[in-house]
Amino acid sequence: MKYDDPQLREALASRYVLGTMPRLARARFDRLIAEDAALCAEMRDWAEIFAPVDAAETPVAPPPRVWRAIEAQLGPATPLRAPVRAGWWQSLTLWRGAAALATAVAAALLIYVGAVELRSARPLPTVVAVLMDKDGAPAWIARFESRDVVNIAALRHPSIDSRHSYELWAIAGSAPPKPLGLLAPGLPGGQAIDAAAVPPTGGVLAISLEPAGGSPTGKPTGPVLFQGKVISNPL
Amino acid sequence: MTDAPSPLPELLRRVAAGDRTAFAELYRLTAPKLFPVALRITQRRDLAEEVLQESFVAMWNQAASYDPIKGVPLVWMTTIVRHRAIDQRRRRANLADATAGSDDALLTLVAGESDRADRGAELAALQRCLDTLEAQPRQAILLAYLHGYTHDELARRLATPVGTVKSWIRRGLERLRRCLDG
Repeated sequence: MKYDDPQLREALASRYVLGTMPRLARARFDRLIAEDAALCAEMRDWAEIFAPVDAAETPVAPPPRVWRAIEAQLGPATPLRAPVRAGWWQSLTLWRGAAALATAVAAALLIYVGAVELRSARPLPTVVAVLMDKDGAPAWIARFESRDVVNIAALRHPSIDSRHSYELWAIAGSAPPKPLGLLAPGLPGGQAIDAAAVPPTGGVLAISLEPAGGSPTGKPTGPVLFQGKVISNPL
Repeated sequence: MTDAPSPLPELLRRVAAGDRTAFAELYRLTAPKLFPVALRITQRRDLAEEVLQESFVAMWNQAASYDPIKGVPLVWMTTIVRHRAIDQRRRRANLADATAGSDDALLTLVAGESDRADRGAELAALQRCLDTLEAQPRQAILLAYLHGYTHDELARRLATPVGTVKSWIRRGLERLRRCLDG
């Protein structure tokens, strides 16, 4: 379809705002306006024409449970400014703690992941690992996309400043962590990593905070912010 | 309405940076305005709560892609709520029509017969231009906007073929736009 006919553009924008557009057409229109500023402005003009109708509604406070449910869905807030600790991956206590944590929350996690998958209504790929923050809240999920590719995606909205990067590490047994690359948290579809680099079941995937561009030494230099045990690696 | 600058653009900017405190404040300021929109379209409290929850999670996730070209923050947020409420409503489209009988009050509200004085010049202008439309196109447009009716539902409600309803709406909107621009 051609989208340069002014009448068609106006008709689409007004239907989008009025609400009579079928859902799929609306999703298509959302993609169009992301790239077409003039069409977006046309949509905005229509939205502003009708906005006074909604603004005329008498305010109604939603019950407190709505905000609680929103907060629960976002997970706990995660401040990124954790103190830098050298050689964290060598700390036995940390990994004992991590192992205990992983066991304790494994069941809860699977339920959580199931809920996320149900909501997004996509077929469930094999979960490789769920990476948690220091409070034990799921933050990243790694899944097999195919036998060769694992996709790792942020479950919520981690923020990072421009002076730092997230770096992903594979840890198997007592060997030093192996770098798996930098992660861009905002990437909507997640990020692909080589499935062969994922540690075997029982190993660990961890994300550390590094200077922008990644660790200068090839080993983690910043704090580990997220980590998760590999719960399933059939390879 | 006051003339003080809206705190919403700055809050939204902070939300885009992942600021949860700003998000809580954004919710506190806007949820009471958005909830009645969800209630009006879904006509059910539990579903309206669900819509509000989904919408705010979506706002949190999409805040970074917000652009003023999409409208001032409240208009952008209202669009998100409206579309989710409409989807929620359409999932139950074959259930009993819960909105039957409630039209009159709402149509009255928008038709300017209510005596609330604080609705501002924009609503007055919209009302004035809606009044220039013929009764049926005006009703079709208002039912669609207020309740999220599909063309098919409008056709049933107004006992008119779908094609006629579509052309009422198309021509009605064109006329409305000319009136508001003129």
